[in-house]
Amino acid sequence: MTRAATPKLGAYAALAGTGLLTALVLGRPELAALATPFAVVLAAGLSLAEPPRVRAWLELDRERQVEGEEVTAHLELAAESAVPGLELLLDLPDGVESLGENPQRRHLDWDDRPEIELPLRCSHWGAYLVGELLLRVQDRFGLLAFEQRLDLRRPLKIYPRGDELEKLLRPLETQTFAGMQTPRSRGEGIEFADLRPFVPGDRVRRVNWRATARRGEPWVNETHPERNADVVIFLDTFAEARHGASGTLDLAVQAAGSLVGHYIREKDRVGLVAFGGILNWLTVSSGVVQLYRVLDSLLDAEIFLSYAWKNIDVLPPRTLPPHALVLALSPLLDERTVRALADLRARGFDLAVVEVSPVPFAEPGTGPLDDLAYRLWVLRRDALRASYLRLGVPVVEWRKDLPLQAALEEVRTFRRHARVVRA
Amino acid sequence: MAVALVVAAVLREGGHDVLLLVIGAAAVAVIVAGLVLRWSGALALGVALLGAQQATRLALGPDALDEATPLVAGALLLAAELAWWSIEPRIPAWAQPGVAVRRVLTVFSTCVAATVVSAVVVVAAGARVGGGTLLLLTGVVAATAALGVLAYVARRSP
Repeated sequence: MTRAATPKLGAYAALAGTGLLTALVLGRPELAALATPFAVVLAAGLSLAEPPRVRAWLELDRERQVEGEEVTAHLELAAESAVPGLELLLDLPDGVESLGENPQRRHLDWDDRPEIELPLRCSHWGAYLVGELLLRVQDRFGLLAFEQRLDLRRPLKIYPRGDELEKLLRPLETQTFAGMQTPRSRGEGIEFADLRPFVPGDRVRRVNWRATARRGEPWVNETHPERNADVVIFLDTFAEARHGASGTLDLAVQAAGSLVGHYIREKDRVGLVAFGGILNWLTVSSGVVQLYRVLDSLLDAEIFLSYAWKNIDVLPPRTLPPHALVLALSPLLDERTVRALADLRARGFDLAVVEVSPVPFAEPGTGPLDDLAYRLWVLRRDALRASYLRLGVPVVEWRKDLPLQAALEEVRTFRRHARVVRA
Repeated sequence: MAVALVVAAVLREGGHDVLLLVIGAAAVAVIVAGLVLRWSGALALGVALLGAQQATRLALGPDALDEATPLVAGALLLAAELAWWSIEPRIPAWAQPGVAVRRVLTVFSTCVAATVVSAVVVVAAGARVGGGTLLLLTGVVAATAALGVLAYVARRSP
């Protein structure tokens, strides 16, 4: 609890002092009498001032929420004495906004236990601690202000809001576990693949009776098995382009959150590699626990400035399992990421790059030279994308005003027509 | 309240109405500006000008002790308290009758108490006591003690 003088205290002290001094100078005791009330208020106010004894409890109605949604903070106060004009400020982190009255002033009687509900908007993804409460109250004469900061912080995780995706990017090869992917191979499953003549050992239930009747010999159905896939989200955290509250990292995290949710829903195993100044990874796994594990890791994603050279050798081998689809989300601004992705392709990984375009975040300058530099930079980015395409890596430019599904569809189209070449 | 104080001072003084009126008008104008701008400094200056008007009246008037001074002092404090109350941020709780009445009672009782103390000062000033070293010493001790008490209560930690 801190105590500070209000402007009124200074004014009353000045009035009392000036009055008493003038009384001495002019030799008129009436002026001392005029100054006396202010001195009396000062003496009474300073001697009777007691710091308020206020207790507070804070709860959030949920610990996890999606970006753009609301959370309600329940604040309960209890005063051990009457507190007139109590000012409350819930000090909120940058990613959380108050939709209610904050700060607010209240009058508390000694037996009051008011409950305040403060709606909060989760405006930006991240992991936050919400609940630093600042109390401020003046004494009954308005001469002193008491301030108290209560640490009532509660964790709040705001997950990124991603796009709804209808079709996901399929890996070239699936894994051996059951899932919802349909591989090219044939085996036990329910997805029809082809017809073939009956051979000893085929089960009777596989006989296609209509084809058998038409051809006069037994024919059986062939099916595709249902398999799952391994998908590794490769998040570039070396550099970002930012304009105001929005940046390429925000878009990449939102896209990653959306992709992870959809792949997990389809029973695929998902891993994460945050490749940047600070390396962060999660080995592939499936299930709801893995979903929250990846989302929590995404909340920690941040740009950490580093000049140290890094390549994919720093990654533990298990983070990039064989036959996994590596889906890179990167603004392709840092040479280390550009080289690492090319290296992944050279090592035979099934790679697709969604370039979170930094172009909308960079405005061309006003002069002709600035304009020329901007155009050259955009051309260099085109050349970079072309070099990836020559390597057989589908790369698509994704801007924030376009749905992620459109970018994925572009990658799917490339992969449909591209041939896999193995040396 | 400030206007009433100005008018009362002008009406009570016979010879220097214009000067007192100018000082009083300046005081009222500064207080109004302080209320409009919600600026504490202007309120302090306005109240000081009101006090200056009283000081001018006393300096230019007769030498006799003004017996109405305690009432003026109480009114001056009341004007100051109401002015500072006016620039406080509004809260809905102030609209509750109980809270508002309690606040009004606090302000008025403070002003009444201050008027009584002021009256004691005026009575003490009017008392005929012989001067001398003892009285001077008493005054010095009283002034020092008053300063000491103020300093003590000001630095006392909560």
